[in-house]
Amino acid sequence: MRFAEPRYYDIRALEGSGTQIEIDNGVIESAGSAFSDTAVIRALGEKGWGTVVVDNFSALGDAAVRRKVDEALTLARATGEDVALAEVTSSVLPVPSVAEDPRNVSLEEKTEILLGIERAAALDGIVNTRARYIETAATIRFENSEGTAFAYEIVRSGYSVLAVAGRDGQMQMGRESEHGITGLNIRHKEAKGREAAERALLLLDARPARGGKMTAILDPELGGVFAHEAIGHASEGDLVKEGASVVKDKIGCAIGSPVLNVTDDPTMPEFGFMPVDDEGTAVQRTEIIRNGVLDNFLHDRQTLAAVGGGIAGHARAQGGYPPVVRMSNTFIENGDATLEELLEACGDGILLKGSRGGQVDPGRGVFQFNAEYGFLVEGGEMTAMVRDVSLSGDILTTLHNITMVAGDRTMSQGYCGKAGQSVPVSDGSPHLLLEHAVIGGGQS
Amino acid sequence: MSRIIPPEIAPYESLIDDILRAGSAKADEVEVYLEAGRSLSLELKQAVVGEASIAEVWGIGIRVITDGRIGSSSTMSPGRWEACLDAAVASARLADRQDWDGLPSPAPLAACDEPYDPAVIPDVALAQDLIARTLAGAEGAEADVIGGSASLSSGAGAIANSHGIFYSHRGTNAGVSLEMINGTSTGYEYDSKARLGDIDPEEVGKKAAFFADFWAGADDVPSAEADVVFAPTALASLLSAIFFPALSGRNVHAGRSYFAGKLGEACLDPALHVIDDPHHGDHATPWDDDGVVTRPLELVRDGTVAGFAYDLKTAYRYGAKTTGNAVRGGAGGAPGIGFHNLTVEGPAGGVDDGRAVICHGLIGAHTANTITGDFSVELSNASYVEDGEYTAPIRSAMLGGNLFAMLADIAGTSEETRTVGRITLPSVRFNNLHIIGK
Repeated sequence: MRFAEPRYYDIRALEGSGTQIEIDNGVIESAGSAFSDTAVIRALGEKGWGTVVVDNFSALGDAAVRRKVDEALTLARATGEDVALAEVTSSVLPVPSVAEDPRNVSLEEKTEILLGIERAAALDGIVNTRARYIETAATIRFENSEGTAFAYEIVRSGYSVLAVAGRDGQMQMGRESEHGITGLNIRHKEAKGREAAERALLLLDARPARGGKMTAILDPELGGVFAHEAIGHASEGDLVKEGASVVKDKIGCAIGSPVLNVTDDPTMPEFGFMPVDDEGTAVQRTEIIRNGVLDNFLHDRQTLAAVGGGIAGHARAQGGYPPVVRMSNTFIENGDATLEELLEACGDGILLKGSRGGQVDPGRGVFQFNAEYGFLVEGGEMTAMVRDVSLSGDILTTLHNITMVAGDRTMSQGYCGKAGQSVPVSDGSPHLLLEHAVIGGGQS
Repeated sequence: MSRIIPPEIAPYESLIDDILRAGSAKADEVEVYLEAGRSLSLELKQAVVGEASIAEVWGIGIRVITDGRIGSSSTMSPGRWEACLDAAVASARLADRQDWDGLPSPAPLAACDEPYDPAVIPDVALAQDLIARTLAGAEGAEADVIGGSASLSSGAGAIANSHGIFYSHRGTNAGVSLEMINGTSTGYEYDSKARLGDIDPEEVGKKAAFFADFWAGADDVPSAEADVVFAPTALASLLSAIFFPALSGRNVHAGRSYFAGKLGEACLDPALHVIDDPHHGDHATPWDDDGVVTRPLELVRDGTVAGFAYDLKTAYRYGAKTTGNAVRGGAGGAPGIGFHNLTVEGPAGGVDDGRAVICHGLIGAHTANTITGDFSVELSNASYVEDGEYTAPIRSAMLGGNLFAMLADIAGTSEETRTVGRITLPSVRFNNLHIIGK
């Protein structure tokens, strides 16, 4: 359907199902599916955006949809921001094929496989095990007033396993998870359950980290969180446009060391993949930092028009929410060093491994994140295991302190929260050497 | 029992009855949870409104129980309730059997606040007024506005089951927020309440401006031992990540809680009291999301662990009694253990004595070790204070510690409290913490 009046409108509908299996200490707590049917209708009036979110969208007829567009336009009249949209190309990449479609595997079988992973974590000394499987299958339908229209289907699935070790009143946990878009990924993953359990047990004997300034090595998982929190968010065009990013006027400036290259790539067949962005713009690999120089912001159509200096195709939305500028698959590119060379250059310091998440204040340029565990580095050798170790710092000084980059990048998956919405992302990095790192820990 | 049904629910009364009838033929017990509402929000892009949105939310969650096997599903489409019911029945077949003594039957309800205000209407002019008042509060600031919002929502929920329960209630929420920046100093403040008259937009604007402007002059500080005052916003983020999950009966019995085996143990500050009151506050409700009649729950009394929170499922499983603490995130989720209106009290006074560091926010509270209570966070809007007067703002510092150890030794609490989400708490002072400076 096409309507004449707003200078721009779009309709993005999501219909699909979510399947979740939860196992707690060997008990199948729940295993089932739920259904979504929601749409976001946006219209641009003379000034800014009016948006209407409607559940039970598929039951609406054409006339009712027309009324929703009108309602969005009426709302738009309450805005005062001058909004222009950049001209963009629209095209839809093929969604990567799945090796084994999780929808063709019965809930019974998936539950049985997940139980196997969870049982593998029940080692001696483990007091609690938990495993979760999540699968979402969604059909996205999009159309806008410029004649762009498409539909695609994408299935995401993955699992997590958690083990808690307890001894003499002390408790520690280990966690493993994998999520993807290329099919069922839970077969033969019992080793991941064991890994989570073994790490939890080892952490019982680890000592708390001693905080302070030191040289640190970040493993690929934590390096990925670093790429996401310390670099990715600050390069999001909406934050730049509103003046809420510490790198807002830094395009073309050396904001990091020359060994640093950071990319966001929605075309990569990883958990943050999207065949087209949520405003219908073609997606492309976007180099945020090239040899330490800030090259591109991540944009949607509005922020590209308002700010420039970057690439559109980064608008993303959770079902039932309007799109905002988001990351997809964000990573630090491989360098040419090895982990051994990093350890040698580190001398005395700390190796941080795994992630318990992170957070950033992009306007202040301050980030914080927590490693799952770490090892002391003494004389270039990994020695004692430490726990509860975190890293924080200023974006603009920290990026200059990454002095060596290994060539062993791997990706990890998770969900990123912003503007009250959660979207699937992945991030990754090779091992990094970070000088003058501010490490926090339970002890000083 | 007479039904007084909100207008959002009334059109679906026969749908609920249909689901209960059809479900009773397929399962021992059936429950329907329905949620419908409308909300309006205006989003500031810098100091002008860039987006105006209406969201119409509608969803039902169906739960069935057969022979101690619990299944659930949900949908946003009234016309697809049969498929949703079938999915719930299929999911019950897969779940492991557990001890189960039935969904609740109708029972007398306690007198209770209704977190509903007819003045909260999802209306553009009203939201524009809230925006204007918030910006007025920030007038005269050096800092620039980078974003903000005003939101107004009104809705209703109902829970019904095959034992004859049909409870419904209305709810409203009004909220404003403002985010400002002065150089690289950011300030954020918000207010969100059930009643329009309870929010103070001007104060939100004033506080956001103060945070951005005062910290524009912040300096780095050396590492130091310091007495630290956590403002309610800062402490609430740590309590939510670590402390309250440890009081969930499920985490306790599953061996994931610091308080496992500590019921009746005096392991916290002797002046610490923590109560969940389901009948007074913005999340007041006479029944919980299992349809169980609610009652106040004492969690910590005089520093002693006095109780844990249970929903029906966890209580039946571990031979405990439900405390009426089933909470859902919406129609899409099965109920889990949560809280209604928590109140935290500690030893009175002492917060403003002499020199201390006050901190209004924490970056990374969610990265704590939720089981042991060990955390390490970056401070946000932290400043040295002398006898309650802000003296030297701190640009950047980290703080690490163990929340359970801190809660065993509280130096003082303020008289003034603030409600952050579902937690009402004072500013709380902890002495001799280690701050890592730059």
